[in-house]
Amino acid sequence: MAARGQRSAKRRSGCFLVMFSGVKPDKRSKVKGITQLGSRSSSSSSHSSNSNTTRSNSSSGSGGSSSSSSNNKGGGCKSHSGSSSGSSSGSGSPPAGTPPHTQMASHESLNSESKSSSLNSKLGHESGGSPSPPKSACSSTSTTSTDHHHTNHQVSHVLTATSKMTVRDGSRTLRPDEPPLVPGEQLEGTAREVTYLCPYVGPKKGTLSVTNYRLIFRSPETDPPFELEVPLGVVSRIEKVGGANTSRGENSYGIEIFCKDIRNLRFAHKQENHSRRMVTEKLLQYAFPASHKLPFFAFGYNEQYQERGWSVYEPIAELKRQGLPTESWRITRINEQYELCETYPAVWAVPAAASDNDLRNVAAFRSRGRIPVLSWIHPESQATITRCAQPLVGVSGKRSRDDEAYIQHIMDANAQSHKIFIMDARPSVNAVANKAKGGGYESEDAYQNAEVQFLDIHNIHVMRESLRKLQEVCYPHIDNSHWLSNLEATHWLDHIRCVLSGALRIADKVESHKTSVVVHCSDGWDRTAQLTALSMLMLDGYYRTIPGFAVLLEKEWLSFGHKFAQRVGHGDDRHQDADRSPVFLQFVDCVWQILKQFPHAFQFTEDMLITILDHLYSCLFGTFLYNSERERIEKEVKTKTVSLWSLILSNKADFENPLYSANTKHHVLFPRTSMRHLCLWDKYYCRWNPSMRQQEPVHIRYKELLHVKEQLEKHVDELRKELAARQTHDSPRVASAIV
Amino acid sequence: MNSHRKGTPSARFTTYIDFEEINDGLTTVGETVPLRPIDVPEETNVDEEKIEPHLLPGEIMIARANNVLKFAPLKANRTGISGTLFVTNFKVSFVTSLPVETKERDMHSRSLQNRFLGVHDVCLSEVDMVNQFSEDSAKKKRLLYNTQMPPRLSGLQLVLKSLRVINFSFKFTPTGEDIRVAQALLHHAFPTSIDHLFLSCGYAPSSPGIPDFCRPADWEHELQRTRCPNWRVSKHNEFFNLCASLPTVLVVPRDLLDAQLEQAAQHFQGTRPPVWCWGTPAGAALVRMAQISPSITDKQQENRMMGLVHRCHPMRLQPKIFDLDQILPSLKEIQISYIKLRELHTPDDPTQFWEQDRHYFSRLESSRWLSHVSKCLEVAQNAATAILHQNSSVILQDASGCDLSAVISSLVQLLLDPHVRTIRGFHCLIQKEWVALGHPFTKRLGHTRNQVEEQSPVWLLFLDCVYQVSLQHHTALEFTSEYLVALWHAAHCSLHSSFMFNSVSAKYSASDVLQRENPQQPIYLRPVWSWWAENKSIIENEQNGSDEEPLDCKTSAREAFLNVHYIQKLFKSLAISGAVRRISDPLSSAYHTWQHIDCLMGETRQLPYDPATPIVPLQLDGSLRLDTSLSNLRPWLNCFCAWLSEPAMLTLNDSESLLKDSSPASHHWSHIHEMYNTMKDLLSQNLTNGAAQ
Repeated sequence: MAARGQRSAKRRSGCFLVMFSGVKPDKRSKVKGITQLGSRSSSSSSHSSNSNTTRSNSSSGSGGSSSSSSNNKGGGCKSHSGSSSGSSSGSGSPPAGTPPHTQMASHESLNSESKSSSLNSKLGHESGGSPSPPKSACSSTSTTSTDHHHTNHQVSHVLTATSKMTVRDGSRTLRPDEPPLVPGEQLEGTAREVTYLCPYVGPKKGTLSVTNYRLIFRSPETDPPFELEVPLGVVSRIEKVGGANTSRGENSYGIEIFCKDIRNLRFAHKQENHSRRMVTEKLLQYAFPASHKLPFFAFGYNEQYQERGWSVYEPIAELKRQGLPTESWRITRINEQYELCETYPAVWAVPAAASDNDLRNVAAFRSRGRIPVLSWIHPESQATITRCAQPLVGVSGKRSRDDEAYIQHIMDANAQSHKIFIMDARPSVNAVANKAKGGGYESEDAYQNAEVQFLDIHNIHVMRESLRKLQEVCYPHIDNSHWLSNLEATHWLDHIRCVLSGALRIADKVESHKTSVVVHCSDGWDRTAQLTALSMLMLDGYYRTIPGFAVLLEKEWLSFGHKFAQRVGHGDDRHQDADRSPVFLQFVDCVWQILKQFPHAFQFTEDMLITILDHLYSCLFGTFLYNSERERIEKEVKTKTVSLWSLILSNKADFENPLYSANTKHHVLFPRTSMRHLCLWDKYYCRWNPSMRQQEPVHIRYKELLHVKEQLEKHVDELRKELAARQTHDSPRVASAIV
Repeated sequence: MNSHRKGTPSARFTTYIDFEEINDGLTTVGETVPLRPIDVPEETNVDEEKIEPHLLPGEIMIARANNVLKFAPLKANRTGISGTLFVTNFKVSFVTSLPVETKERDMHSRSLQNRFLGVHDVCLSEVDMVNQFSEDSAKKKRLLYNTQMPPRLSGLQLVLKSLRVINFSFKFTPTGEDIRVAQALLHHAFPTSIDHLFLSCGYAPSSPGIPDFCRPADWEHELQRTRCPNWRVSKHNEFFNLCASLPTVLVVPRDLLDAQLEQAAQHFQGTRPPVWCWGTPAGAALVRMAQISPSITDKQQENRMMGLVHRCHPMRLQPKIFDLDQILPSLKEIQISYIKLRELHTPDDPTQFWEQDRHYFSRLESSRWLSHVSKCLEVAQNAATAILHQNSSVILQDASGCDLSAVISSLVQLLLDPHVRTIRGFHCLIQKEWVALGHPFTKRLGHTRNQVEEQSPVWLLFLDCVYQVSLQHHTALEFTSEYLVALWHAAHCSLHSSFMFNSVSAKYSASDVLQRENPQQPIYLRPVWSWWAENKSIIENEQNGSDEEPLDCKTSAREAFLNVHYIQKLFKSLAISGAVRRISDPLSSAYHTWQHIDCLMGETRQLPYDPATPIVPLQLDGSLRLDTSLSNLRPWLNCFCAWLSEPAMLTLNDSESLLKDSSPASHHWSHIHEMYNTMKDLLSQNLTNGAAQ
């Protein structure tokens, strides 16, 4: 099983070697460095990585992108050695050398090998006076390995679990060709002689297996073997290509799998094998459990983690952290049974001046009963961010005294300002149009002291279309001559800019004007969640820590009822469902943009964001399942599934940003929002494309710097001691003067 | 209004708000920013007639305008600072007692001309366009040197070649002074001849220890360093009799007699024969060649020269010829792209900024600038591959042999030669390929008003290519992209002789002219590299109330210019076991690495390199490979948006400072400094130890 760990290890060491053709690697020093960082590496492991070196060296030649390395670059494909067992924990994660899984005894050596060789590749990157010409090949290879981070990540963490299990009960041994499974995973079907049509490296022949969680494709054709795995939750639709009688030509008969994570996979079957039908059936069944009345895989996944992710967010504790209750704000359990508002959480913070009866009356005037409740309160000025849905104004311009009074209470709760801003996330045209459907926005005549501003963020349909265009631009091939204008035509970054500058405006109002802000869109669960969560991220450094970010997502997204099930379409085969939309992805992209501008202000790296996005689709964890807190309680998600935060908090070291400086916690971030300062998140959107070169992240370089420093200081110390010893020996008087 | 024009005391040194002629910005994007005057201490007793600009020896004040308001671009357009505007024969100088903006101070501390230009000063040759705002219309109008002046100007807009925009308002300026200043500016910023510029300031420059490639020894060293066989140094151009655009010394095939060289030269454009500029020990040479003169029909001489290059190769391999005029954009296209870039990065007001910003990517693409960069990188990559993997000589041919061939030749060396990636090596490269081999800076950068049609920022194109290299190979270059930005800005300062002339001979003749005009004064033409060797500012900086230490300024500039990741790489090679032990052994590599680090970091060292140490022979062991596809290139925001900050949508500006603090390099630097100090400590103890023994 642990062959998997090897895979990335090999690839990495391969690239390390390619890089060194032409440069004389200081082997001794490198191996030394490795042993020190990946502290558990055994001598055999470093030996094996060295032997790899020679091999890829010879195969790579000098011309740049070598065949062996390009083989590794397939569209999200991986290769593995298939020789021995072991599992890699750090393999996918850039912070090499962190040992999150100390308890794995039997697979230790391999585990550390993968670590050490990933370090290898890193050292190779930086080392030598001068990188050799094949470097670009190698860095794109290593890019590929980072491409697979996320999959590696999820797989590796999951795998670790398997290996632990294996060790624990010792009952099950795997056949060499059988893929390693996560706890709860079962092999459902295998088809041989299937060809994967990789858009980058061409067709690969191998075995396709389907489990109740994943699709696994392995091709032994290349050395190291080529491997691809996709959690079935990622699948958005499956199509048969070519009929039994109509297909002519090689590879024209098969299936095409469209994924939610910006890629498509095409497999060709042999007609005479009759394997397509079985594979398609199994895929449909396990990719779309909701449509087949089957439980999500998350309910079968029974990994044990050190940390219990479900306890990361306690609503009351979070409100207390913000300083509640105060004179003007109280905590209420009026919605404990989800009766007042079924899409809201059980616990709210509301103005103390509003009675429970007031709340009921306000709920009647707000779309779906989503009344303004507190998201965040400024610790000093007491200016607040509250969120809600649109008022039910309608064509006739209805008013509600209770709602008006309620907004007034929110304003009065903040003594610093005699004004309140109502940020309507929609373009004003849309807000007006909503009046026809009974919705609308607050009129400034009715709401004294309130100023309504429209933030011009478009609706979920526009965003879905934008992402579709973005995928066309990024996958599988990039049209270089029109890259920038094509990118612009998707308007993806334009939308990102709108969301960011909307959030920025809210943060500015709260921080600089000490004025409270009410945020809403139509229903208050898409754009509103983006805006409140982002402005809170800018205002409050707590949310920029790893647990804090978990709290932010649990609170603003999950508890306030962003409809994850609908927007992502978990386990649902209606791929054209108009309720699907990449709202959450867009939010994470915005977080990434801020992270990129303030690399020191976040405790986590982009790897955590990518992991979160991958598990948004994977259905491995219960976190993002269902549409609201109420539904999750009903389905007993907390007791029957594992939380994504268990994975993240148990492997914190993998996601930690070495550049993070905790004193930025008290800073407010005001990111720049002009287009020229936004970038496409290529590490996410273009990760399958090996031609996209990715920058080595600064935090990796920084980690290396710390390591270099430590080594240097150690050597200096040794030398000093030696010197002192010698001097004591020679002339004690002088030595004492120095020491 | 009229009372202001007479210069009432209340109008002095205060901040003015609401400069309605220039802008009314944020309406489309943000809400109106509340107008808040900057709190300024009232200094009523300053007599403005006594305010003088700082003049260098030989610099003459030509015009002055009192009570001028200076408006920073975009961000603070509503608040200008008040001061006196001077035009001298060297600079446009704005003198004020108000505090300087952080942005301006930062940029100033990171400029290579801060030894003789103050924070508010702009060298005349930096001025690209002058626009006027007149009283009756809100529209701006471009002023040329021969434009008829309107009777009254309400404001002037300077667009600088560094893509910076400065607006001046004459709302409170006494009548007549506005016109005088504008006329002086137009007259002196666009001279007819290069020697009308202020080229020498009477202070001898410190020597930066960079060869100027005008002496035979420099080229001989280069031949020795590269160990490229079968080429020789010819002094046949001693009086520029052979070719005016080449230096007095050139490297030609060993078998070529000087007489033949002279004969061949006649056949090429500008009578410029092919010259060697770099080579490898295996015999592959890099040769730059002009096209055959259009008047000459037979290609006999061209073929002959190619045959000679062929014969020079020890293995008689056929040279590869890159006809750059065919495969790269023309100078005209580069200039057109640049003009589009300039438009895109010099918006007049926030409205225009946001309007452009919405379509930033497609506009950038339609400028085709990045595609030019991509093509240059690709050609350089191919040429480098030919040299490295096929060991064949490369002939780079472009029309005059001194434009795109300079770009490609320099890039090839950057990709192949590790020495060129150090600061010293990069300086040598520029000195050799651009200065000595005669890139026509005067024409291309428009230092004079003649030959406007010859303008083309080939130099910027090259720097952008280097920027892309630095992005893709972050540890490879010893200098940062900030330094490249500084080099672009430095090319517009007339006191930097490196980037002012069309050729070495043009420099000599300009110097002669100056000497004739001022026989008493010594003429010093200062290479830009002198900046590194000078610690003190030539002008005193006590104006603007700044009391910064020049050393501090240098340290911060060093941190901005030196690539921390490169130094990290050096330290890494010291961190291997045993290296520290050998550090005082002059024969070990650790010793040299430490010397290298010490040059870069040591505060006592002036230069980031030791000019006395011989340059190590060329080793082709670490060539760089580039991804030249457009999707892998990035717009050079540091350069194009150097002066362009996003118009404020906010009331607070804290974000700027936090952004700066959080520049990743600062954390890197602190660790690098700690390591350096640890090592120094150790070494000083070692010395004590040695002494004790």
